[in-house]
Amino acid sequence: MGKLESRNIEKYFTHDGKPLKTLDGINVNVEDGEFVCIVGPSGCGKSTFLRITAGLEKPDDGEILLDNQPVNNTGPDRIMVFQEGALFPWLNVRDNVEYGLKIAGVSQEKRNEISNRYLDMMQLTQFATSYTYQLSTGMKQRVAIARALVMEPDVLLMDEPFAALDPQTRDLLLVEMQLIWQKTKKTIVFVTHNVAEAVMLGTRVLVFTHRPARIKKEIKIDYRRPRVAEDENLLKYQKKILAELRPEVKK
Amino acid sequence: MKSSTLAKKIGFYAMIIIVWQGLDSADIWPDNIFPSPIDVVEDLAYGVADASLFYGIGTSLLRLSIGLSIAIAGGLVLGIFMARVETVNQTIGSLVLGLQSIPSIAWVPLAILWFGLTDSGIIFVTAIGAIFAVTINTYTGVKNINPSYIEAARNMGAKEGQLITSILIPAAFPFIISGFKQGWAFAWRGVIGAELLFSFLGLGFLLNVGRQLNDVSQVIAIMIVIMGIGILVDGVVFKKIEDKVMTRWGLR
Repeated sequence: MGKLESRNIEKYFTHDGKPLKTLDGINVNVEDGEFVCIVGPSGCGKSTFLRITAGLEKPDDGEILLDNQPVNNTGPDRIMVFQEGALFPWLNVRDNVEYGLKIAGVSQEKRNEISNRYLDMMQLTQFATSYTYQLSTGMKQRVAIARALVMEPDVLLMDEPFAALDPQTRDLLLVEMQLIWQKTKKTIVFVTHNVAEAVMLGTRVLVFTHRPARIKKEIKIDYRRPRVAEDENLLKYQKKILAELRPEVKK
Repeated sequence: MKSSTLAKKIGFYAMIIIVWQGLDSADIWPDNIFPSPIDVVEDLAYGVADASLFYGIGTSLLRLSIGLSIAIAGGLVLGIFMARVETVNQTIGSLVLGLQSIPSIAWVPLAILWFGLTDSGIIFVTAIGAIFAVTINTYTGVKNINPSYIEAARNMGAKEGQLITSILIPAAFPFIISGFKQGWAFAWRGVIGAELLFSFLGLGFLLNVGRQLNDVSQVIAIMIVIMGIGILVDGVVFKKIEDKVMTRWGLR
């Protein structure tokens, strides 16, 4: 029994009027404080699985448990970081970061105190009054991460958050993400199609099969941190995962 | 505005006035049909001197702002409701499209029957002329919101009521502001039109007085004032808001 558990999640989509099985009995058990990465061929349903976990979509079968309690809806205990950040352009950086606190009725003073901490952690303090159109893609994702952390969720769900970044910015954020994880001890589920990214971040990598997705392989990554992109020792993990993934991508 | 653009504009308007004065000096039409620019300016000066012009502008703008406020409030509610509840869209939505095609002036007879020859009647015509433009734009705006804004807000714990004020309205604002702009344009036409037909005050009334007194220069003077206010609101007020919104929302 872990922090977050998915039991036999099944999901169908309709394609050309016929039901198309996307998730075929996904069982995942995420321990408290784990950093689980999910890789799979594009369109395999890994993002769908994450969205079901967040409560943004309903499974056709199975259930998601958080601390052994079934969850059916979205909730601030499972906060999602979207691929495109989904920042609100009408709010400045600070107001974006404080959004969840504000609607929860947290006082201005308390909000500022909390947001200051995370703005600082994400090195955004000097951009607090900037608007999103003034920020680079990398900066936007920092804001998105800060906005999620502020909610102090039990589980942080990340849906390919670095997919749109240039390689240099990505490498930087991959290192920072590890530090954040070590600092906050958050439980994280991170979806990506980038194997190198998964290997750098994860304590465990789950490989999804081609649709309908099942868990094909689970690979533990016991390696010191912070891991850096150019570390050759990480390559053997990458090779192992790619060996599993390649036949799926070709399908 | 760039100085070259400004120069072009000034040149253009100067040319109109010169041609106008030339036509007047040519004495093709009698003065009671075709006044000179000077006659019109004199008329404006007269209106300024006895403050009747300001009183007219004030009255029309007051009616407009009441009518437009009603239209904005009603249009926002209706538009959001249509965008969020499919049944409302399928039913009221189709009616809104139909009502939108009625020119505001066509509401005047009904306004007179319901409200008599009163300010309320004029405000009614103004509001009803503008409300559907606000509704349709709000609807379109809310329908076009990036779904991940809504998902992110829900995910962070926003309830439906909070969603409306903190996400739907601001996210749809670039569309909503076009709705306000269109709404203003309809309201402005509506208020002048209604005043023309059944009011005792306002710019539309002054136009009608000009006609009754056979005072062409007053008619043209008031038309210039109506146009001037239009340019001011469209080109200054709305342009400023739109520029700011477009930039901040990352649409340019």
